Amino acid sequence: MKILKSIKWRLQLWYGLILVVVLAGFGLTAYQLERNRQFRQVDEQLHYRLNLLAKELHHPPRGQDANRPPPGQPPRDQGFEGAPFDRPPQDRFPEDGPPQRDQHRPDFHLPDEDAHLFDASDPHSFYFIIRRDGGDEVARSINQPARAEVIYDHYFNQVNHYDLPQNRSLPPKVMNFEIYRDVVELMPSGETILVGCSIAPELKELRLTALKLTSVGGIILLLGLAGGGWLVSRAIKPIEAISATAVKISAGDLSQRINVAEAESELGQLAAVLNSTFARLETAFAQQKQFASDAAHELRTPVSVILTQTQTALQRERDAASYRQTVEACQRAAQRMRKLIESLLALARFDAGQEVLDRQPFDLARTIADSVELVQPLADERGVKLTVTAAPLEITADAGRLAQVVTNLLTNAIQYNQPEGEVRVTLAAEGGLAVLTIADTGQGIAAADLPRVFGRFYRADSSRTGAGNAGLGLAITKAIVEAHGGTIEVASGENVGTTFTVRLPANVES
Amino acid sequence: MRILIVEDEPDLLASLAQALREEGYAVDTAANGDDGLFNAEGTDYDAIVLDVMLPGLDGWEILKRLRKTKKTPVLMLTARDQTRDRVKGLDTGADDYVVKPFDLEEVFARLRAIIRRSANKTTNIIELGDVKIDTAARHVLLKDKPVELTAREYSLVEFMALHRGEVVTRTQLYEHLFDENESSLSNLLDVHVSNVRKKLGADFIATRRGHGYCIE
Repeated sequence: MKILKSIKWRLQLWYGLILVVVLAGFGLTAYQLERNRQFRQVDEQLHYRLNLLAKELHHPPRGQDANRPPPGQPPRDQGFEGAPFDRPPQDRFPEDGPPQRDQHRPDFHLPDEDAHLFDASDPHSFYFIIRRDGGDEVARSINQPARAEVIYDHYFNQVNHYDLPQNRSLPPKVMNFEIYRDVVELMPSGETILVGCSIAPELKELRLTALKLTSVGGIILLLGLAGGGWLVSRAIKPIEAISATAVKISAGDLSQRINVAEAESELGQLAAVLNSTFARLETAFAQQKQFASDAAHELRTPVSVILTQTQTALQRERDAASYRQTVEACQRAAQRMRKLIESLLALARFDAGQEVLDRQPFDLARTIADSVELVQPLADERGVKLTVTAAPLEITADAGRLAQVVTNLLTNAIQYNQPEGEVRVTLAAEGGLAVLTIADTGQGIAAADLPRVFGRFYRADSSRTGAGNAGLGLAITKAIVEAHGGTIEVASGENVGTTFTVRLPANVES
Repeated sequence: MRILIVEDEPDLLASLAQALREEGYAVDTAANGDDGLFNAEGTDYDAIVLDVMLPGLDGWEILKRLRKTKKTPVLMLTARDQTRDRVKGLDTGADDYVVKPFDLEEVFARLRAIIRRSANKTTNIIELGDVKIDTAARHVLLKDKPVELTAREYSLVEFMALHRGEVVTRTQLYEHLFDENESSLSNLLDVHVSNVRKKLGADFIATRRGHGYCIE
């Protein structure tokens, strides 16, 4: 049953079915047309002979009918044209109208020049029988006399004599009996003429025609199925390529791409879409890998400190002061690791959208003032001047997290400032948003580095100055701001300074 | 043996320097790339321990510039353990690397190895007549009996032995046995040489007057 689930085979099946129906319809029609043509030719011959016999029955037997074709030229050879049976039955009679019932000629005799029409040498072996009302036989062909009688009886059994019209005549009727075809006419004069022939040659030819049609149809079906199969395979091929690539990718090789040969087709477009999805997946995976590798890398240094410090201390007996130094160094390393782990966890929670924000209305200007107070000692140490321009502005947010944002940005602004530099903090309401800017007068960030500033583990100078500065501060800052539905931007000019702008939804009318 | 450590993490730098000093090396330190390159170019160290991530010039850059003038053996300290980082380090001219976090024993062993290789020695054992020096165990045997040497005396013997047959100048000895913070009192070296002669035999170290010392 698996084969039925394959699109390829289902397409093939439907295609084959439709082809069979079309071919069968076509073949049957062709066969029917051929059959009609063959029978029409036979009927022509039968009618011709019937008319001939009818005339002979009612007219002088010799050469007085100018309408008769010359002997030896049966109308069969003339094709359809001028077929005698096309004429209305009255035409068979002379201008003075149909003969009366009592004018029949009891001594019927088939003229010699017409005898060949009922010759046994003809493959159709025509025969006739003429009977009068009561069943008395008028004439019968020498050819197939017994057969003619059987068919005559068969015919008469079918005629309901009570249904006969007033003049007890019936127009010529064609009927088939076994391999014979006959035409019977009940003449108004009372005689019944039956002319028949064997249609074995026609039936044989029809069988041959049927065989030909079947074999041609069969060949066309096979060719069609093969061609269809080829077309379907061609159409399916890109799907197979896509599937093969997808398998490789799910096996872990993210660098695989679908080879897009026909970009115009629907499958080509699908392949392009999938390729771009794969590319984004690969980038995301690479970023994830880079993040893990960076995190591990950041942990290596503090672990190295602890290992070297303790191993050195344990090399020999030492005094209390040097043990104390070792323990202090280990503590610093452990603090650094703790800070790193907290940052990583915070980022992971923000990434997963699991960070729960404690949103309360509060005055952002107040938070800024607190943060400034917190970093003031660092600013004093570096000789950096802090100026704050902030009017009270209420927002609804997680006060603790926003204090972290302000402190992070302030610390950066002080650390990357030049000695005797300045940090300007402003807070203003602008169209329903609280806009916080923190501008320093440091050496600025190179334009090429600007897009990476909020990246994880980005460091301005690739150093580790300031233990615990793992390059995650701005990444966390950005995550916090965005979790509050805000935005953060950075603008920088080399040797001019860097300005960070944070926009947050504020509790003011816009 | 005098070693330069270039490392920006102060706690790591301090403990590495202390440990190596206790191993008997003379140790100079630098906390950033620029100082590191300045020291490395200005002094003939027996080996340099170089961190990759440094403020200022990074480890790769220091190595690249240093290799233009000096063949000092370099042991890289790297926090990245990916193959391409190691390959990059070795291709840039590093003699060996240690991945953080490391064990001190491993750093000691790798340092001994790169110093030995730079002196074209293949084993840790140097034999000079009756005297056998084991540079891994850092001890000296005279006629198969251990000889007690101070760390500085051992360093003197090892350095002379690694430069066997060469005349080693007093300046060279000062450069390799004392670090930048020690006052190079001229008679300190004479005291060490005299002590070694007492312990290993008077003709173990020959004096080339006006040039320096030599082990035949």
